[in-house]
Amino acid sequence: MQTIRLARAGWASFRQSGRDHLNKQPRLRWFLSALVWLPLGLFVTEYGFNVKSVKGRSMQPTLNPDDSPWRDIVLFDRFSVKLRKKYERGDVVALKSPADSKLVVKRIIALEGDVVRTLPPYPDAEVRVPVGCAWVEGDEPFRTEDSNRFGPVPLGLIESRLSFIIWPWERIGSLGQPLVARHDAKRGTPGWRKSQADLERGTWRTSRVTIAPSQPPTSPS
Amino acid sequence: MVSRAWAAGLWNSVHQTVRTRRFWTVSLPYRTLQFANFACALHLFGDHIATISWVEGPSMVPTMAVAGEAALELKWINVNKLTRGDLVTFISPLDPGRIVCKRITGLPGDVVCVDPTGTYAPSTEHVVIPKNHIWVTGDNLAWSRDSRVYGPVPMGLLKGRLYARVWPVTQFGVFPNTFDYIS
Repeated sequence: MQTIRLARAGWASFRQSGRDHLNKQPRLRWFLSALVWLPLGLFVTEYGFNVKSVKGRSMQPTLNPDDSPWRDIVLFDRFSVKLRKKYERGDVVALKSPADSKLVVKRIIALEGDVVRTLPPYPDAEVRVPVGCAWVEGDEPFRTEDSNRFGPVPLGLIESRLSFIIWPWERIGSLGQPLVARHDAKRGTPGWRKSQADLERGTWRTSRVTIAPSQPPTSPS
Repeated sequence: MVSRAWAAGLWNSVHQTVRTRRFWTVSLPYRTLQFANFACALHLFGDHIATISWVEGPSMVPTMAVAGEAALELKWINVNKLTRGDLVTFISPLDPGRIVCKRITGLPGDVVCVDPTGTYAPSTEHVVIPKNHIWVTGDNLAWSRDSRVYGPVPMGLLKGRLYARVWPVTQFGVFPNTFDYIS
């Protein structure tokens, strides 16, 4: 009993001295009180949204086009992938590469059941995407390590969806939506040409995919 | 009588607290946020460091009961230090919402026989496991969908490693590595 009381007294004095020490150093105190809320922040970045910059040119001209002096800063939406399990053709997603588990940014071209006409490095001319997998490609066919190299990827490797470009300000806007020709741009101007090229690339991309006739059944447990 | 007076006192103090403006504007939101923060910390611990998880189903039968048992699962793993015979959990390549447990039978660079039983592929077919992939099989080959069906599994899908059985308590024990090398 005596030892317990002594230990408690020691502990109380230790806490008191810690408190006194903190009161003398407001900056440390501020830092620690911010650190306490770290789990909440980490949880939000893991299951909600976070902001990252994108490196590399494999997604140009959607992300990091050649004429951009900055790296694009994008809002990554993990909520719709990790919790809602929503995967759609045309979405730009970040996934762990099967080749080295590093995070890469690609576009979902086809989902399970679809038939894709592949591009050169892939051995077969046409491939049916297996159950639970997706076919991902970069927007720039010459500078990308994508499904044409490593084949269809399991959906579980997909970590987040890129939903919104935050910076640079000329291209602020949501990503992964169906492209439409911009009628507001004047014919022949650079903006018009760019939108036409985007549209053409989009139609070329979708023309290589035969979408599965109906919603494929979910795999049995 | 004492307990009654005590209950009345408690009710009174709760009533006094609830009536104050400070309780609704400061204390309650702050306590809620603190509770949420604590819950997040627990969840993150279970997600990244270690957790106790329930394993069931017929695919691992001699090791795990069909009815299910609880196992200590280490989430903080180094995927490059896994060995053949480890029990690992990973996101099913067939369904991203499911986490499955299998035994590693091949590491990158190994040559494995696709299916020794000959049901999914002729038993003479062999593959080389590519870099950053593993070959997994269930212990109950007749009732398991594993690498024989979906091929090598990318290491990015790995979630954790089962370390020990904790429930039922009578069968508590660290999972042994059942791998034998034939010289």
